[in-house]
Amino acid sequence: MNRLHIAMEHRKLANGFDVVVAPDSTAPVVTVGVYYKIGFRLEPRGRSGFAHLFEHMMFQGSANAPKMQHIKLINSSGGVLNGSTSYDVTNYYQAVPSNALERVLWLEADRMRALKVDDENLKNQRDVVKEEVRVNVMNEPYGGFPWLDMPPVAFRNWANAHNFYGDFADLDAAHLGDVQAFFKTYYVPNNAVLLILGDVKPAEGLALAEKHFGSIPAGSPPVFADPSEPEQSEERRGHVDEKFGTLPAIAIGYLLPKRRTADWCAMALLDQALHGGRAGRLYRELVLEKQIAVEADGGIDDLFGYNGPTQMTTRILHKPEYSSEAALAAFDAVILEVQEKGISADELEQLKVKWRSDYYATLESGRGNYMPKYGLMHLLACFTLFDNDPQLVNTILEGFLAVTPREIHSVARKYLRNEKRAIVFRTPLKIGSPADQGVKEAP
Amino acid sequence: MASRPVEVAVGVPALAPERQVTWPKRTRTRLANGLEVILAASHTIPKFHGELLFRSGNAAVADRSIGLAEMTATVLRSGTQKRASRQIEEDLRRIGADLSSHAGSDASAISFSGLSEFAEPLLGLVEELAREASFPEAEFERERRQKLEEVKLQRTQPSFLAGERLRKVLFGAHPYAHVAPTEAQVAAYKLDDLNRVYRELYTPQNGLLLLVGDFEPQGMLKTIDTVFRAWSGKKPEAKAFPAPANPRGRRVYLVHMPGAVQTQILAGCHAITRNHPDWIKLGVTNCLYGGAFNSRLVMNIREDKGYTYSPRSAVTPLRQHGFFSVSAAVRNDVVAASLTEMFYELNKLRSLAVPAAELADAQNYLSGVFSLALATQEGLLTQFSTVAEHELPDDYLETYRSRVRAVTPEELLATARNYLDSANLQIVLAGDRAQIESQAALFGETEIFDAQGDRV
Repeated sequence: MNRLHIAMEHRKLANGFDVVVAPDSTAPVVTVGVYYKIGFRLEPRGRSGFAHLFEHMMFQGSANAPKMQHIKLINSSGGVLNGSTSYDVTNYYQAVPSNALERVLWLEADRMRALKVDDENLKNQRDVVKEEVRVNVMNEPYGGFPWLDMPPVAFRNWANAHNFYGDFADLDAAHLGDVQAFFKTYYVPNNAVLLILGDVKPAEGLALAEKHFGSIPAGSPPVFADPSEPEQSEERRGHVDEKFGTLPAIAIGYLLPKRRTADWCAMALLDQALHGGRAGRLYRELVLEKQIAVEADGGIDDLFGYNGPTQMTTRILHKPEYSSEAALAAFDAVILEVQEKGISADELEQLKVKWRSDYYATLESGRGNYMPKYGLMHLLACFTLFDNDPQLVNTILEGFLAVTPREIHSVARKYLRNEKRAIVFRTPLKIGSPADQGVKEAP
Repeated sequence: MASRPVEVAVGVPALAPERQVTWPKRTRTRLANGLEVILAASHTIPKFHGELLFRSGNAAVADRSIGLAEMTATVLRSGTQKRASRQIEEDLRRIGADLSSHAGSDASAISFSGLSEFAEPLLGLVEELAREASFPEAEFERERRQKLEEVKLQRTQPSFLAGERLRKVLFGAHPYAHVAPTEAQVAAYKLDDLNRVYRELYTPQNGLLLLVGDFEPQGMLKTIDTVFRAWSGKKPEAKAFPAPANPRGRRVYLVHMPGAVQTQILAGCHAITRNHPDWIKLGVTNCLYGGAFNSRLVMNIREDKGYTYSPRSAVTPLRQHGFFSVSAAVRNDVVAASLTEMFYELNKLRSLAVPAAELADAQNYLSGVFSLALATQEGLLTQFSTVAEHELPDDYLETYRSRVRAVTPEELLATARNYLDSANLQIVLAGDRAQIESQAALFGETEIFDAQGDRV
């Protein structure tokens, strides 16, 4: 078996800023990311959508690089850039020819040191974000399903249950004082990590990091709200209208075990047994064999990148001639089978080979084929911010490859329980024509 | 038009000397059965990526039905003479591989990736799919129903409806006018049609096998020869279609979507193919207009005015033609304002020479981003595939950067005047008629369609 080893150096600067450099001279390209340990889960109450709106504000200007200069300087150095907000982290990243490395670090340091934005910038980006929500959610079939539909049904703690893209009233209420307070609280070097990956020598990367970030003062360690959920003891159900599509949709989410436990490793492989593409049990049974569904996919979204309550979520679009209850019964039959019989040693072996292959792809892969090493950057950042151990990237695979059939069987019974799940039915206002001929029972 | 002056950055570190960009050596050969093979080593991870490409797609069989090559590619993976659908999927998982089969206007392809240690069994399965797919009746009927639902869903998506209408307007009777079949066309597909497409298009003489990854090329060539040598088949007859008429005069095509909370704008005109001598100049022009984050259009209607989230422009190369398009999903009350700015920026490029510094920025952007592909196996594969599919010169990758850097402001002005044909740009709007019809009428005579494509 050919194992992949990622060489790296990790250092914490005096101000608490973590720096990880992973050299690889294959191509004259370097990927630079800064991750802040704040996502939409713990954004302020009454300000839903604020973490994401704030991410937009980070491109609106800093003390020495006014509005548009960050974007202009990256593009004109031959690079691409973006940012994204997720549950527990927000990232800013760029891939550039390696001769632009110092320029990128200067830009990232400038906006960490002194964001400089005004009311006009805020109004502009609030308008942009509203169009983003319209294009991705409000004007799109099955928009936000299930990532925005599931949390209010599944969770009781506002942190986990609110609208992460933001209610428009909350976006409108946000003002410049909120932007400054959020920046001061969370965007401090001791709540962030810098990743430099690719064509760089470790000593050079560390020295440049010290040069540009070393003098940024540490902030008070952020105080995070408690994201934990009260114990769930009943199945939860919710309903959402589908304005455009004609197929009924169902999402089923089960709570996951704590990350980096043996149960977590076993659940990750069980997730692949259920959702692993066309060989996965759910696609095979619901789409290929019983042909109740047109789509059956999903699973654990971003296994390494969350740091609070989360779910394994199945997404089903089924034919209108079957009732939702019939589709759910077919889903339940798949779950019941794995609870009763577990999976065979041969199936687990297949899953492990695929897991290893997928893991390598994650380490190499870009985002949308243009941001090299995006996957490696993401894993190193999460392992540093959540676990203080970027070397996990070289060792974490072992835990998955050690999972036994018995452990899979055990987690199937322990976590795939009705009282630990939530279900969202997204029901079309206009049902497709085959349903007019009567509703069928599951075959 | 920026409403406030742009400020510059202070104290920006200079760029270090550039490291040389070297594309990996390609090993090329042709097997005795006519299959063209291109290999390149890349040792980033112990895997490889590949593509078995056939130089015919939906356009080549458009006289029979629309989307037939795509349907053939879809059903292809669901059975061979030796393996049933379930077996194929499990065998892929057993060797840690991914595989997909698909077709566009001009090509059909089986794309795959897997662990280097299992290269031979994966190539074996690819060969089996290319040579002896069995097209089981039950799998075909299942996929047909899936396709019907997909086609229905597309008609609720603003970006699809706008794209479909623009293609019809630009390409008329040419096969490129069709981006997807109708429900009736899908319902009328016959298994024999798929079998015939498969026999005609999936032949070694029509094929190209591209592999990039962690292997030693000479050893891999031997494996390929062993796996693919027994396969045979002729190149299909090439079909020529009359050139589509280039629409004259600006017109508006409104696709009515009742209740839409936003309007999808898409406007376009004929352009050129990828192997046209002006391709690179048009690419630089597009980059300045709306092809990059730092482009004039994004600065204007996103960063200055906040009309939209993701404005962009593109030149889409098809094998026999190409087209230029600009798009943005905007607030309903700023449709006319957005179009005004789109035309303003187009006409500015047609009227005034681009300042040298702005051109240099765009040239650096295009040549830098081009080399990002070097860092991943899939990035390399995509570049090699583009060169092969569009029959570009062998040194295309090696000379691209210097050709981008050679473009002058005068050439850009001429290119914009030639191709960014604002007087004849065709405008498509997918949105709620009640909210946008009067704005649409400001830009030309308006025809209105429903989501099914019928005139209203």
